[in-house]
Amino acid sequence: MSQTTILLVDDEEDIRLVLSVALSDMGYKVLTAENGKDGLSLFREERPPIVITDIKMPDIDGVDLLRMIKEEDPDTEVVMITGHGDMEVAIQSFQCEASDFITKPINVDNLEMSLQRVHERILAREKQREYTRSLESMVHRKTEELAGLESLLQRGGAEPDVEDVIYRFQRLFDDLPCYVAVMDEDLVLTAVNRKFRSDFGDREGEVCYTVLKHANAPCAECPVLMTFNTGESQEGETEITMPDGDGHHALVWTSPVRATGGDPTHVLTLYTDMAQIDRVQDHLSSLGLMVGSISHSIKGMLTGLDGGMYLLDSGLRKRNDEQVNEGLDLVKEMVGRIRKMVLDVLLFSKDRDLRKTETSVVEFAEEAARGIKALVKEHKIDFLMECPEDAGEFEVDTGLLRTAVENVLENAVDACLDEKARESHKIVFRVRGEENEVVFEVEDNGVGMDEETREKMTTLFFSSKERKGTGLGLYITNRTVQEHGGAITADSEPGRGTVFRIRVPRTSGSRGAGSGETGAPGGDVS
Amino acid sequence: MAKKILVVDDEEAVVKYMTALFEDHGYEVTAAMDGADALKILDESVPDLITLDLQMDKVWGPQFYRKMSRNEALKDIPVIVVSGLARPELAIKKAVAVISKPFDPDELVRIVREHIGE
Repeated sequence: MSQTTILLVDDEEDIRLVLSVALSDMGYKVLTAENGKDGLSLFREERPPIVITDIKMPDIDGVDLLRMIKEEDPDTEVVMITGHGDMEVAIQSFQCEASDFITKPINVDNLEMSLQRVHERILAREKQREYTRSLESMVHRKTEELAGLESLLQRGGAEPDVEDVIYRFQRLFDDLPCYVAVMDEDLVLTAVNRKFRSDFGDREGEVCYTVLKHANAPCAECPVLMTFNTGESQEGETEITMPDGDGHHALVWTSPVRATGGDPTHVLTLYTDMAQIDRVQDHLSSLGLMVGSISHSIKGMLTGLDGGMYLLDSGLRKRNDEQVNEGLDLVKEMVGRIRKMVLDVLLFSKDRDLRKTETSVVEFAEEAARGIKALVKEHKIDFLMECPEDAGEFEVDTGLLRTAVENVLENAVDACLDEKARESHKIVFRVRGEENEVVFEVEDNGVGMDEETREKMTTLFFSSKERKGTGLGLYITNRTVQEHGGAITADSEPGRGTVFRIRVPRTSGSRGAGSGETGAPGGDVS
Repeated sequence: MAKKILVVDDEEAVVKYMTALFEDHGYEVTAAMDGADALKILDESVPDLITLDLQMDKVWGPQFYRKMSRNEALKDIPVIVVSGLARPELAIKKAVAVISKPFDPDELVRIVREHIGE
């Protein structure tokens, strides 16, 4: 086991001495400081995972030290040493997320137990991180949660009572303040309640995913299909798209409709609108959501990778050059996709403050364009950059914002590659320096976006690129631009191409509105 | 004569993979990129076995199976589900086997052999 470092801060020399010996005996590497100021600078130098500090100290006291350490690295475990009757300070410390208290006179056994608890917390947290890092383990964890699929295959015979049952349901549910719909096994809406009709219009006869999701295919975790399959009612959450394109969070509850007993012939679904989704704020829960949405594509990529290796191997054995090359290409493609996904995930997980520097707009734009030059050359796409020399400067986090602009440029390349009708493709990257803001415009004559794609392009985990996308790219791009106080807009039509516009203020006083993060300022030094 | 396998999967990489795998083991392979495509192929020739992906854009796995099993000439062709979805075993109850992606090629070949021989 590697040695854990503990920083011990106490103004009493005797206590430092006694505790140092005790802690060393327990196997820790001990650093000591005799006051808060020294303690803080030692903390900054060494970044120990555990700090033990006395509360009562001259100048910077224990609670102040706790606060400062937590601000720099909220994951540090801080154990407070307190005298009797320090209740108020103790409460204060807890509010600042102290890990534990030990009281004077210090009992070494208590100290050891306390450190044991601290260790468990550290381990638990590392475990949690491990989860987010290891995509495969996430896949396993979420496997159970991904919904099952339809299995209603054979069904015959007339069901004379169905209409009657539906009619009775409809009357019953007409007055409910939520959406009620009845679907058949092809997910066609056969009946809806009054509120559904008034918000979505007369949509009976259409499939539910078109009406509620503006999508072209059933959802992977469709609770309705699950109900058909299991014959049991299901509960869950989903996002429904209102006719005006707004995404609403909704709770879904389904129930099988059995006309004459036996297997369900229809499923009744009840959606409770949970108000509009703003942004995904809870980091962990969005990671959880991500796990579900990417596990399927990860498995696909791994299979593709296996395939590439197999072709390579089998081609080599048969001395079939064509197959060897095919295998190599496949491996290259899959590794590229997996790499992109992992990077997206890491970038998404990274929650850091912007590190803004004054940057020349021209240099920034040239740097961003450089990223895709090889790509456009490879695919013989015309690339034109228009950037006035006097575009001036702006104050941005160059690394993050460049990734964002590059992402939009890469999307333009993908859009061109997906468009097969035209003979030649062209991307124009225009930069305009306006008085208070800088505008980056990326115009392509690629496939363009349909209504669904336009509405959902910046939502988490939405991808128009099938297996190739994580659905994170534009979400992260949008988040970065918003954090700079800017905005992304798009004009697009299928078959016509797309113009993406990123507007970024030259200076933005604050982080973008609505980011809502309380995060750790400067916490991440890695 | 070589036994025929129809591979249905919308991921090109997987189609290439399974085609090479089965051909290396002496089978004749045709491939379809989605259920609709697969149904067209079935109109022309009847394979000895079908491997079926579930999540596909046009006519997904279960829908394909429902359609093919209504056809007397097709309904007894053994189907192996090969999918990356969680709990794929729920999708097609009559599938002779369900394999999760990523899969073990030897295992897949073993199951194929079990059902249609060499």
